[in-house]
Amino acid sequence: MERQATPASPVTSGGLPLDGVRIVDFTVVWAGPFAAQILAEWGAEVIRVESTKYFQPSTRGTMAHPPKALIDSGALRGYPDREPGDRPWNRWAGFNVHSRNKLSMTVDLNTEDGQEVLERLIRTSDGLIENNAVASMDRVGVTWERLSKINPELVMVRMPAFGLTGPYRNYRTFGNHMEALVGHYSLFGYAGASPADSGLNIMADPAGGAAGAMAFMAGMLQRRRTGKGVQIEVATAEGFANYLGDYVLDYGMNGRLHEYRGNHDSAFAPQGVYPCAGDDRWVSITIGSTDQWRALCGAMNRADLGGDARYQEADGRRRFHDELDAEISAWTSGVDATEVMNSLQGLGVPAGVVMNEADAYGDPHLNARGYWEELEHPETGTHRYPGVVWKAEETPNRLRRAAPRLGEDNEYVYRDLLMYTDDEYRRLEGLGHIGMDYDPSIP
Amino acid sequence: MVNRSVAVDLPLQGMRVIDLTWYTSGPFCTRVLADYGADVIKIERVGVGDPARSMPPFQDDEPGLERSGLFMFLNTNKRSVTLNLKDMEGRDILLDLIRGADALVENFSPRVLPGLDMDYQSLKAINPRLVVTSISNFGRDGPYRDWNGSDLVLYGMGGPMLNTGSPDREPLKTAGHTPSFQVGAMAATATAIALWGSGANGRGEHVDVSYLETFMGLVDRRTTNLVNYEYAGDISTRPPLANSSGTGIWPTKDGGYFYTTVVAARWAAMARMIGQDGLASDPEWNDPVWRSAPDRIDEFGVLVISWMIERTKTEIRAAVEEAGVYGAPINTIADVLRDEHLLERRFFQELNHPTTGPLTFPGYNFRITTTIDGEAALPPRLRAPLLGEHTDEILHDDLGLAADNIEALRVKGVV
Repeated sequence: MERQATPASPVTSGGLPLDGVRIVDFTVVWAGPFAAQILAEWGAEVIRVESTKYFQPSTRGTMAHPPKALIDSGALRGYPDREPGDRPWNRWAGFNVHSRNKLSMTVDLNTEDGQEVLERLIRTSDGLIENNAVASMDRVGVTWERLSKINPELVMVRMPAFGLTGPYRNYRTFGNHMEALVGHYSLFGYAGASPADSGLNIMADPAGGAAGAMAFMAGMLQRRRTGKGVQIEVATAEGFANYLGDYVLDYGMNGRLHEYRGNHDSAFAPQGVYPCAGDDRWVSITIGSTDQWRALCGAMNRADLGGDARYQEADGRRRFHDELDAEISAWTSGVDATEVMNSLQGLGVPAGVVMNEADAYGDPHLNARGYWEELEHPETGTHRYPGVVWKAEETPNRLRRAAPRLGEDNEYVYRDLLMYTDDEYRRLEGLGHIGMDYDPSIP
Repeated sequence: MVNRSVAVDLPLQGMRVIDLTWYTSGPFCTRVLADYGADVIKIERVGVGDPARSMPPFQDDEPGLERSGLFMFLNTNKRSVTLNLKDMEGRDILLDLIRGADALVENFSPRVLPGLDMDYQSLKAINPRLVVTSISNFGRDGPYRDWNGSDLVLYGMGGPMLNTGSPDREPLKTAGHTPSFQVGAMAATATAIALWGSGANGRGEHVDVSYLETFMGLVDRRTTNLVNYEYAGDISTRPPLANSSGTGIWPTKDGGYFYTTVVAARWAAMARMIGQDGLASDPEWNDPVWRSAPDRIDEFGVLVISWMIERTKTEIRAAVEEAGVYGAPINTIADVLRDEHLLERRFFQELNHPTTGPLTFPGYNFRITTTIDGEAALPPRLRAPLLGEHTDEILHDDLGLAADNIEALRVKGVV
């Protein structure tokens, strides 16, 4: 594609591998934004396309204008000092953590002007990423047929939950429902309990995020060789079905459907999550060998268990798993969780605190690795955020910018990238395309 | 080369990956790279191979190096070479393969490769454009570097495990190897990004992916709760699943369960769906604060159950879609294998293996489409390799060793 001379981006990315790669980002909620987060982390210029006229729940908060009563009652969380502020959508933890390093622009795609903006954006970009219901994207003209004509080198990653085709293509879903549909809720739970007792689990979203970013890179690598753009479809539910592959094989090989077994394991015994001193304090322990079993018994001061012939092999320990769990719990429940972890790890036994937020921010290992990073945000102040997901020896990498406020980068995108004149910019502003506030009528 | 009848160019075609991984996370990483076209050469220990070959499930529950479903699932599209890395000749063969490679992936504990004089700097000296991806429990440095871990221990430390399970019980891990597979998926993405970089500037990279930091960065509640602690000082808990009116898992007529969630704006739609038009128009019930009280949640829950228990999962699925409620059936693996959507999309693949005969495998993580309604452009996978199945082929074709040289190495236990 012909490119204008590249204007300076509000987010610098010099030296990072994806420097110079521009991505149009229509992602919502968790899975898509996580994919875009990873790409932005490694230098892509990710431009979130948002609208002041529509509020997507669970992206910049549960509601645009949350009632104070819901926040005071604890039903809605995530705001600094529990204050939603004048623009709650800029102050929500869930958005501000995954949208660091990204840009935000606003446009109403349901108009001719908005469609012109989309076309100009596509012309100047390398990729597009989205995770909406297929029908929603069709409605605003985000289709491969159309956009690949505007930019034949476009790498377009589509992440609808169930894919672009098939009877479920327009199903509304969160990650936990995708997991239920592909089998996960039948596989994790307390022994003998109902699936409702398993509580919430949403691993399909981070799985979709990793797959979405991988799909984008696959598309870029293919384009580098062929010079042609490509559409890649990440059906997030199918991606997560891959995480259950060994269960699919077990069913095929042995006709087995697994029953719930809590935190017990098919190979290691004992394995479990044990209560420690204090409120909601837990330590996980996995015994992977007889040496580790004896070390655990030593730490518990229970030479009798360590020497018991019944417990020398994993099979025997599994047979008496509930009894052993009770013995271990009796020991851990009087001890500080961190103390259990440190003493067992000192003996080579896999053990770890089930960390809450205070544990995590205070963890000596994460701090020694420089994991937490401070970012300054104009409407939330300075806070520590989870850092870059992985490290690269030749390319030290840090977070570079706090999450964008709604429409924060309109000036850069419209004027510098899309070459709108001052008059046109003011006209689009007057029509409500460009702005930093949701319509007050939106709840 | 792997013989594939490809309809289109695969994204990573022409890239060679030396795969030193074992168990679960590393093989999941190289599985993703192999699925999208990389030529993955899996280096296995002579005689015993990847320990995953000895991990369940097994065909007919009978252990054996060529009987593990876990191994067969993780190692499709790869080639297997056996090599004794502690032997000088074995090591030289590996170094020769590394010279021509684009990437190397390993998930040994952090001291192993340096112990074999194959730390990143040494590998870089023989192949300056090599991407080395290292996966480990806690990363390449820091006070926990040499600590031991397991999926449970590491997911509990890093991930949102404190938030999963019942409020009155212990935290609960996700199923099976799912945490390790997420680490593997992340490592594949990291490798692809590093390959993009090395392809542009000719310089290699050493990627350090840790279980702990991968889980700490999970968008599934963990990162939101962490930042909420920074913002407001809240320590998170295990909330009950039914934490708002209409959210929960309910029994159905055909024996299974159904899982629904109501976003605030759609609550009245759910009330109408279950025939409670009166509640749907009741001002008190339309107040999200009022209906979020535990008594109201229970009261509404009784109405939902009475409606659900009269209907099949399929009927409920159609109704929630029409009402705009988020929801899905709680399926078993047997249900999943006959799911109409996955069948219509031909998601599953059947692969033949000498030990098992034809078996059903999950399909690709993602698909390359050339048109919006096009068929998957990716070829069927090749079954996982037998132990050392491609040793002769690679030593001969790639390194130019003659048959009698290879035989001599075999006698010495090098391959």
